[in-house]
Amino acid sequence: MKINYNWLKSGSKMRFAGLVISLVLIFISTFGIASKGLNFGLDFTGGYLTEFTTSTPLTLSQLSSKIDASGLENYTVTAQSAQHFQLRESEQHNPWLDTLEQNEDFSVNVLSSSYLGSQVGDELFEQGCLALFAAMVAVMLYLAMRFEWRLALGAVVALLHDIIIVVGLFAWLQLEFNLTVLASLLAIIGYSLNDSIIVGDRVRELLRIDTAQNLAVDKVINNAISSTLTRTLITSGTTLATVASVWLLAGAPLQGFSTALFTGIVVGTLSSICIAATLPQFLGLSAENYKVKLDEKSQALMDMP
Amino acid sequence: MFKKSSKKPLWQRFKISYVAMFMALMLLAISALPNLYPAKSWLHIQMQESQTAVQVDTQKDVIAFLNQHGFLVAQSIDEPQLNGGSLNILFNTPSKSAAAQQALKAEFTSLETKIVTHQTSPSWVQGLGLAPIKLGLDLNGGVLFVLDVDLDKAQQEQLDSAFEQTKTIIREQKARGVRVQKNDAGFELHALDKSLTDLESVKDEVLARFERLQATSHNQGNMTSMAFSFSESGVSSFTKEVMSQTLTTLRGRIEELGITEAVTQRQGKQRIRIELPGVQDPAEAKRIIGATASLDFYQLKEVGGKSFKHKDGGTINLDPVAIFSGQHINNAQSGRDEWGKPLVQLSLDSQGGEAMSAFSKRNIGKPMATVYSEYYQNEQGEIVKNSEVINVANIIQHLSSRFSITNMQSAQAAQDLALLLRAGSLTAPVTIVQEQTIGPSLGADNITNGLAALMLGMGITLVFMALWYRRLGLIANIALLLNLTALVGLMSLLPGVVLTLPGIAGLVLTIGMAVDTNVIIFERIKEERRKGRAPYQAIEQGYNQAFSTIFDANITTMITAIILYSIGYGPIKGFAITLALGLITSVFTGVYVSKALSQSLYLKLADKQGASA
Repeated sequence: MKINYNWLKSGSKMRFAGLVISLVLIFISTFGIASKGLNFGLDFTGGYLTEFTTSTPLTLSQLSSKIDASGLENYTVTAQSAQHFQLRESEQHNPWLDTLEQNEDFSVNVLSSSYLGSQVGDELFEQGCLALFAAMVAVMLYLAMRFEWRLALGAVVALLHDIIIVVGLFAWLQLEFNLTVLASLLAIIGYSLNDSIIVGDRVRELLRIDTAQNLAVDKVINNAISSTLTRTLITSGTTLATVASVWLLAGAPLQGFSTALFTGIVVGTLSSICIAATLPQFLGLSAENYKVKLDEKSQALMDMP
Repeated sequence: MFKKSSKKPLWQRFKISYVAMFMALMLLAISALPNLYPAKSWLHIQMQESQTAVQVDTQKDVIAFLNQHGFLVAQSIDEPQLNGGSLNILFNTPSKSAAAQQALKAEFTSLETKIVTHQTSPSWVQGLGLAPIKLGLDLNGGVLFVLDVDLDKAQQEQLDSAFEQTKTIIREQKARGVRVQKNDAGFELHALDKSLTDLESVKDEVLARFERLQATSHNQGNMTSMAFSFSESGVSSFTKEVMSQTLTTLRGRIEELGITEAVTQRQGKQRIRIELPGVQDPAEAKRIIGATASLDFYQLKEVGGKSFKHKDGGTINLDPVAIFSGQHINNAQSGRDEWGKPLVQLSLDSQGGEAMSAFSKRNIGKPMATVYSEYYQNEQGEIVKNSEVINVANIIQHLSSRFSITNMQSAQAAQDLALLLRAGSLTAPVTIVQEQTIGPSLGADNITNGLAALMLGMGITLVFMALWYRRLGLIANIALLLNLTALVGLMSLLPGVVLTLPGIAGLVLTIGMAVDTNVIIFERIKEERRKGRAPYQAIEQGYNQAFSTIFDANITTMITAIILYSIGYGPIKGFAITLALGLITSVFTGVYVSKALSQSLYLKLADKQGASA
């Protein structure tokens, strides 16, 4: 009995420590977004992008010197592997490709080329922001309907926390932020809530059972977390394993996508415990909230003819 | 005792739902079947020569040529027909078909080639009309265009035409007191009080001819002004008409280019998305798809009229209202006249034929001008219409629905114009705002990588579940495999579902998340068992109690998937679809199928081992 009590106490401590870590992470991420900004991909900026492979491995500087020889200015080359490169330019200027194709050291094979008008890029960015916003509003409405406001607010703050940290990571590492990354942000919204809801559901259930109010809310929350912990860890584990296999094997096009999702799931698991379940406690969640509701409901049931 | 009595009705109840479940799973499994048989793309070559000797030669030539240029022919099937016959070729590396088609076109100009995809699944599967999942461009390789349709310009054109016609109406009705003048939103009529009746009748005639316009009048002293502009419903119906006409025209053009399986659809308010799988060289497609050329036929005017540029310099005055325009052209063929100059032979539809017949009968000996118009982008990036008279010819005889336009610049110009006229001209100018070419090798790589990721993710999950939950894990794994089968089946079955690379990622993600449903339930069952419930009740309780949690958890992801689907295009849409469908199938297999499985499998085993426990 005594050991159990101690564990619960340290459980609360761990939650509070986690909350502090989360706050620090949010601060670092916000600072990163504000100071470094995001490295937007072609989807949002518009421009020309050419993806090509070379017959021999090259370093970026070797390749750049060849391209510079064609007189091309204002371009960025990124390497996806030693023989696989991407060149981005804002105005199309084809001689660089001819220069590369004519050189004798290696041969070049163009894999794909894209053009996107800058106006379309702006529109996609607007639409993307709109989608993020709409998704948040929609899930908030659903949560407000489904949960008591303290639990709902906890879930929403946890959600914002996850999104901010993932975007912050992209800002700090200057990873390319494109449409697929935006899609993964939306998937994170769904996933993060999934975790928070399951913990919140259990808190709600235990509070309802506990009508005599024998346990403190603190303990109820710890109980709820420990009884859902196995589930949270297994699901996060299998999802992380599948996302990791996308990261490892699906190649460059899904790199940003899987990076975002992986981070999102890790911080989402953390936030479902440290924020979604802890914040309502600070907001004064108690069994009373449910007792009243239950009584009203049963009253209504009894009043029915 | 109690248990015994409740067993029979339950068993009967489950029997029906089991049968329904089994049927649904079978149906989806059969739908998923075609995906095991990869489609093969054949190069279909139409022989034009009718003499057999020549045909055999050409065939040998074609195959030898292809083998020489590194396109190894794996199989060729010859289909002799009365008017030439055709040759079907399968390459060792089918992804090279498009390159081979290009090479053939350059070498044998008289051959018509197209790439045809054949299913290799058993005939009974094909007989059911089942096909594998459609692959997106990022997996298949090909060209993507997104065109912006300039609706403002098209509206302006319509207003200009109405303005010109109004001038004619005023002349026809001899409404001398009515003046017409352009303004910002369209044009307006002015009249003094004494010619108000004229104004009214002109207005009625204009509105009768242009139903989408509206007239608003206001007085200033004894002067009445009547402004014409598009009405709100007019704008929307005009937009709808222009977009659907543009889509039809573009589809026609793509068909003329010999590209099958293209996807042409409206994207947003004024964009059109064209996906051309298998096409590797966007240059030709771009020239034809983006072309805005149109033909109109005008009467010459000596006094007044609208001045047009002539191709050879100078200007010509023409009647502002065309006799008929390119849209009445049924068929057009390029050819050469007796002096070897390129020409385009036209045949008109009945309406155009009548107009032409009536006009030429009245005007024998008089000239008629052919005006070629094209939109282009000027230095400021604005879209400008350039019209020039390419041909002025005297009408020698009474013309009917067949005649030809001579004096074309080059054979290529004649061919392009004939193609454009066949497919119809665009009423609104279009500009390419997005263009993407994905090589076939990149697409193939994407498929291999995506499938590898799927296999690894799936393998880890299956092994983990089997080790962690043992017997229940087996049920979860069967449910998971059924989930994948059902999802693939559903995606093959639903029209409009396209698998993209992010879609494969969604598939992998679904596998990881689908386990969640089972984990929630199994944890509940374990808990119930710890409380001391019997296996049957523990399972019943576990499934029932977990359901609301599972529903809550999945609905939020569903909301985001739907939002993503409604705003995203192409690859992103593919991700959203897979995610949404994956949620549906995972709840179906995770809750219902695995409940049925645990009730029958798990309980039987538990009964045998622990009937006494």
